[in-house]
Order: sequence, then structure tokens, then C-alpha cells
Amino acid sequence: MNIRDSIRSGLITFGLILFLNLLGLPRTFGSPTIILFTVIVGLLTLLFLRDRHDRKYDLPSSLLNGAIIGIVAGLMLSLVTFIFARMQADGIQVKNVFAQIFPEHTAALTGISADDVIAGVSVLPGLIKLTGLFMIAGILGGGATRLFTERTQAYRTQLATSSAARWLVLGLPFLFYALFLSLKIEGVDIGGSDENILGLIFIFIFIASALFAIRGANSGRERIVYSIGLIILILILPQLTDLFQNAILGAVAIFIVMGIGLNIVVGYAGLLDLGYVAFFGIGAYSYALLSAPKSYFLVNLPWFGGLTFWTGLPVALLMGVAAGVLLGIPVLRMRGDYLAIVTLGFGEIIRLLMLNLRDYTGGPGGVLNVPSPIVFGADLGNPKGILYLAMLFAIVVAFLTTRLRDSRLGRAWLALREDEDVAQAMGINLVSIKLMAFASGAGFAAVAGALYAARQVNIFPDNFTLLVSIDVLSLIIIGGMGSIEGAVLGSLALIGLPEILRSVNEYRIVAYGALLIIMMILRPEGLLPSARRQRELHSEDETVESASAAD
Amino acid sequence: MALLVVKDVHTYYGKIHALKGLSLTVDEGEIVTLIGANGAGKTTTLRTISGVLKPRDGSVEFDNEDLASFRAHEIVYKGVSMVPEGRGIFSRLTVFENLDLGAYHRDDDDGIKQDFEKVYSLFPRLYERRKQVAGTLSGGEQQMLATGRALMARPRLMLMDEPSMGLAPILVESIFDTIHEINQEGTTILLVEQNAHMALQVAHRGYVLQTGEIVLHDSAESLRENEMVKKAYLGME
Repeated sequence: MNIRDSIRSGLITFGLILFLNLLGLPRTFGSPTIILFTVIVGLLTLLFLRDRHDRKYDLPSSLLNGAIIGIVAGLMLSLVTFIFARMQADGIQVKNVFAQIFPEHTAALTGISADDVIAGVSVLPGLIKLTGLFMIAGILGGGATRLFTERTQAYRTQLATSSAARWLVLGLPFLFYALFLSLKIEGVDIGGSDENILGLIFIFIFIASALFAIRGANSGRERIVYSIGLIILILILPQLTDLFQNAILGAVAIFIVMGIGLNIVVGYAGLLDLGYVAFFGIGAYSYALLSAPKSYFLVNLPWFGGLTFWTGLPVALLMGVAAGVLLGIPVLRMRGDYLAIVTLGFGEIIRLLMLNLRDYTGGPGGVLNVPSPIVFGADLGNPKGILYLAMLFAIVVAFLTTRLRDSRLGRAWLALREDEDVAQAMGINLVSIKLMAFASGAGFAAVAGALYAARQVNIFPDNFTLLVSIDVLSLIIIGGMGSIEGAVLGSLALIGLPEILRSVNEYRIVAYGALLIIMMILRPEGLLPSARRQRELHSEDETVESASAAD
Repeated sequence: MALLVVKDVHTYYGKIHALKGLSLTVDEGEIVTLIGANGAGKTTTLRTISGVLKPRDGSVEFDNEDLASFRAHEIVYKGVSMVPEGRGIFSRLTVFENLDLGAYHRDDDDGIKQDFEKVYSLFPRLYERRKQVAGTLSGGEQQMLATGRALMARPRLMLMDEPSMGLAPILVESIFDTIHEINQEGTTILLVEQNAHMALQVAHRGYVLQTGEIVLHDSAESLRENEMVKKAYLGME
């Protein structure tokens, strides 16, 4: 039993909650904040104590330590809140320093009305209640660690591998698909006014759980059957969704294309590219400048100009590939951090060029009225059309990437990522395979860019900031490096979810950061990593296994 | 017939003059060893031959062809493959994948299959562990893997950099047995070693390298009897 560890864990919990507090969560959410905080305390306690269970913790000490964590966090928060309340009662303007601390804030945490706080009514009873709640959450969290001891390990594996669990995993996607469909049936009211957001959530969970089900398949053939089923259901999907949902799914699909492309550069070849947005931007601008009616210089050239989507797309692709090679040549000798910095600079240079070459790119005014793709006379310039196109591109890009990965080139990329010098000693031409990685990644981004331009209709340099590069990189990290399902899942989580969470706008970035940190601690290989990645990041376990197997 | 001729080679690391006019020849079918102390330029010699380093002066000829204009990976195509110092295996790839990468530049699927069998029969341990991640192998197994991987290129000349480094004595012996066996099957070997004792037992000829220059060259037998070698490298008075 280690009380000092528990006190420290309690302080960390308090730190996180204080952070959310200072961001103004209580003021936005009102009294439900307490529920949220209590849940956070419980979960954190579970996390902290779970890591310690191997030191032969018994039930009483788990409960005691959980209680300590809860009490420490609760007392500290109470102390801070009490000080704020006193200051507010004394008429000191706390919000001049802490912009989000208002009497309403204190009220939300203590259950005493804002007027009473100003009037100086003691908030102590509310704070005692708060501390008590935290303590209960801590105890529950501590108790929950009992589910994760070595003794229950066998039951858990048994449960996880039982056929019931298997059918559950297989059935879940259909359940969520059905839930989504039920939203369409007249008279069934699940979501109320936010029905389309609820529908999207069901779709996201459907796709995510289907991906996990595919991963859990027992044989290759089974996996193919599930994959085909998933693709068919997804192809029907845009017919059932509304405009808003299609628009969001379209953005998700475009980022899937980019994620798969960046996976080649970062995941396979191990070249950290922080300027990936440059190729996205080049693709978008290539198509836009060659096709938009009031354009700048290219359209006025007699042999160019007025390209349609289908003639502009190959041009955008070629421009992207050329840019990839051009960036590739100067950075051939760079490794690791240096490569990251140079590519970062490249991304910014392209954006600044778009911004400042006014006569050629339209500058900050962007390129307007980019024509939409037309297929057999049907205008696809609507969310549904764009979504179908993006899904088509994603499937094609996924297929090409899989083929590349399994080719000789793919193996060379793996070797490159492992050890450049030895790769060269194996007869691998470093120059050509690095350029191939940059070029293919860039080409896919450019295709996504052209589609993005068609989707947005008007594009501006501001659409292509560093943030896009970071988004794409994060989505493949969260989803799982080197895997296509990972890119899909990451895109849903990082592009799709924030769109849904627009109503809690300010906290999106906080949630985003928290998600990244939690992922890196709990599952550094990502949600659905390639088998190879998983092996790499858990090689310790494997060493132990193989060692014991050797005995 | 000389397979490899290194003539008056000068190699620099920036301003540091690492090889000062080094010359050596390796004949087809031979095992030639290069012995010398730390920093004498043994690894630099191998890196110069394999094209990772380019000499500022002098020439490296393989099979009567000057290698100066070829890049490192092209020299592998010519039939020179390397077992790098510290083994240099791809530790996060499987044993199979490592071997497969050894045959990276080859197109003859049947030949590759044969060589897999050859390597597996030479090192049955590698067959047992073919699906295992290479980083989890023991030091001796990693050395087998590095050697097997170099063989997968079906080289005419194999450059081995300190294969005995960091291995238990019993493994050192088996590695040298393997070197002998590989040579018996027709692969020429240039072996760089600090373990002069073992190297001179397996090799036909030897060169002694001191601060970037060859100071002694003779048959392995006479080198073993040479007073200076005995004193400096074999630890005998």
C-alpha cells in the first residue's frame, strides 16, 4: 500500500479537473459538469490503480487508495472553488485574471445559486458534497480495478474469445446500422431535433465496429466476406443520409484518401513529412486554376483553360507527383528531425506562394467557382456526389496502396525505415525508393486536393495551413500507423467527430489534445494498427513469450 | 585469377585520412582476412569496396571492372555483398523478411527459393525461427541471419565485418566453421577480424593493417608464425 503514490495520483486528477475548470466547462454546461467531473475522477482512479494491481493489491487497499485519490482531488478543487467564491463575495473581479471564472461557475460546482455566491452565502456544504462525490467515484474506480487482476485474467480471455463475444462483435455493426435506419422510420423518435447528428454517430460507430469485426475475423476468406459486406452497406449509405450528413462524410472520405497517402510516406518508408498539406494544396490549385471560369493566367492560354474535372484530375495528379519528386530530391540526404523541419517549411512555402502570387493564384481572394465533376451528364457537385466520388477514390487508393505495400517496393520501404545504410548494402536504391514514396504519397494527396476544390467550389490559401498536415498525421497515428482501416477510423475520430461536436466548439481542441495524449499512453500503436506495428510496439511482450516458448 | 583488386586507395572521412594508399587483392575462391587493431581502417576498407564510401584516389576493381562509377546498391548487383559490422539486421522485420530483402535485387524466383533452402539448411535455427521478429533472436542467431541474408544475394564476393564480435566463444567457433563451409561451396570471402587467431586459421592469406596502411602480407600460415603478428595480434610472446 503506497499512500504517497495515491496522493500524487489525486493531485494529477485535480490538475486535469482544474484545467477543465479554468477553461470554463462548468459555466458552459451548468450543473451537469459535476457528473462529468465525477466520471472523470472514477476513470482516472481506475487507470492509476490498474497499473499498480500487479503489486498484489487486495480489495481493501484498492478501495482505500481509490478513496484517497478522490478525496485529494475533491479537497483541492474545493479549496480553489472556495477561494474563488470568497473573492467573488468580496467583489474582486476574478475574471480579469481567470477569464472563465464567474459566480455562475462557482454555482455550477456547488449547487448554490450565483446570487447567493455574490451575497457571500457559505459554499461549504456544496463543496463537501463535491468532495464526497469524488470520494465515491474514487472508491468505485478502485473497486473496478479488481476486474483487471491476474486472477480475473483467465475469465476475461475466456470471455473475449467465447463465441458469444464473437457474435456480439459481428452483430454490433448491424445493430448500429439498424439503429441508424430506424431514425428514418416515421414515428420513431430517438434523436429529437438532433436526429441527423445522432444518425451520424450511429454511422461512425457502425463503420468503426465493422472495422474491428473485420480485424477479428478468423480466416482470410471470412475477412474478405465482411469487407465486401461493409463496402456494400457503405455504398448504400449516401442514399439514406441527408445533406448535412453527406457533407461531413464527404470530408471524412477526402481525409481518408490523404491519410492513406501519408501512410506510405510515414508509415511504410518512415519519412516524417510535416508538409503534406502542400501536395493537397497543389492538387486543389492545379485543378481550380485550370478549370475555374474567371481565372488568372492559365485559363487564358488557348491550349489550357476550361478543363473539366476528369481532364483536370490527371493534371492535378501529375503536378502532385512532380512536386513530391521536387521536394524529395533536396531532402534525400536528410533523416529524422531534419527531414521533418524541411518538409514543414515546404508546406508553408507553398501556402505563402498561393497567398502572395496574386497574379497567378488570385492571392487571398482564392479561386472562385471551381466547376463540379460531371459523370454521364449528372452533376456531382452536391454532398452526395462528392461523397460517392471520395469513397471511390478512397477504395482505389486503398487498393493501390495495398498492392504497393506487398510489392518489392514495399519491402524496400520497410528496409529503409529500419536502417538506411543496411538497406543500401542490400542493393536497394535509396534515391529511387525515397522518391517513389514521396511521389506516390504526394500524388494521392493531390487527387484528394482536386476533389476538395470541387467540393468547396471556392478555395483559398487559408484552406491549406499547417493544421491540415497535423490533422492528417494525427489521424494516422490515432488510427494506427501503416494500416488502411486505421486511416478510416482515424479520419472518423479526428475529422468526423469534431464536426459533430461543433456545439461544444471551444472544447473540441481540448478533447483532441486529450485524445492524442491518452492514445499515446494506452495504445501507442493506434486503434487498428498494422500487424507489423503492433508487433513493434509490443516487442517486449513478445520477447518474453518467445523466451518462455524456448524453455 | 584476381577477383578483387584494390589499388593504392586513399579514403577520407572529411579531413581525416583513413586509408593511406591501401592495396590488396583477393583471388577467386579464397578466404582473405584483414587483421588490425581498432581504428586501423578495416571497416573503412570494406565500406570503400562496397561503395558506401568513395575513395578520393586509387581504384577498386571487381572482376576486371572499375567500381568507381557505380553506387553502393549497384555494386551489390555486381556480386559483392556485405555482412555489416554489428550484424545490421532489420530488427523489427521477421527472419524471413530479412532474408527476402537479401535477395532484393534478384528476379529469379526459382533461384531465390533454392537459396532460401540453402540458407535454411546451413542454419536450421533460422528455419525454426523464420516467423520470429529478428530483434528477438540471440546474438549468434542474428549473426547467422546477417550471414544468411548476405548469401541470399548469391554473391561472388562476400565481405564480412567482424562476424565474431560480441559472441560467446562456442558460437565464434561455429561461425568460423560456417565461413569455411560457405567458402567451400564457392564463395570468395574477405574477412575483417579482430580475432586474429581464428581468422588466420580459416583464411588462406592475410593482410595486416596499421593506421590505414598494409604493413604485412603473407599466407595465413606464415602470418601465424610471424613474430610481430604473434606479439601484437595473437597475444603470444
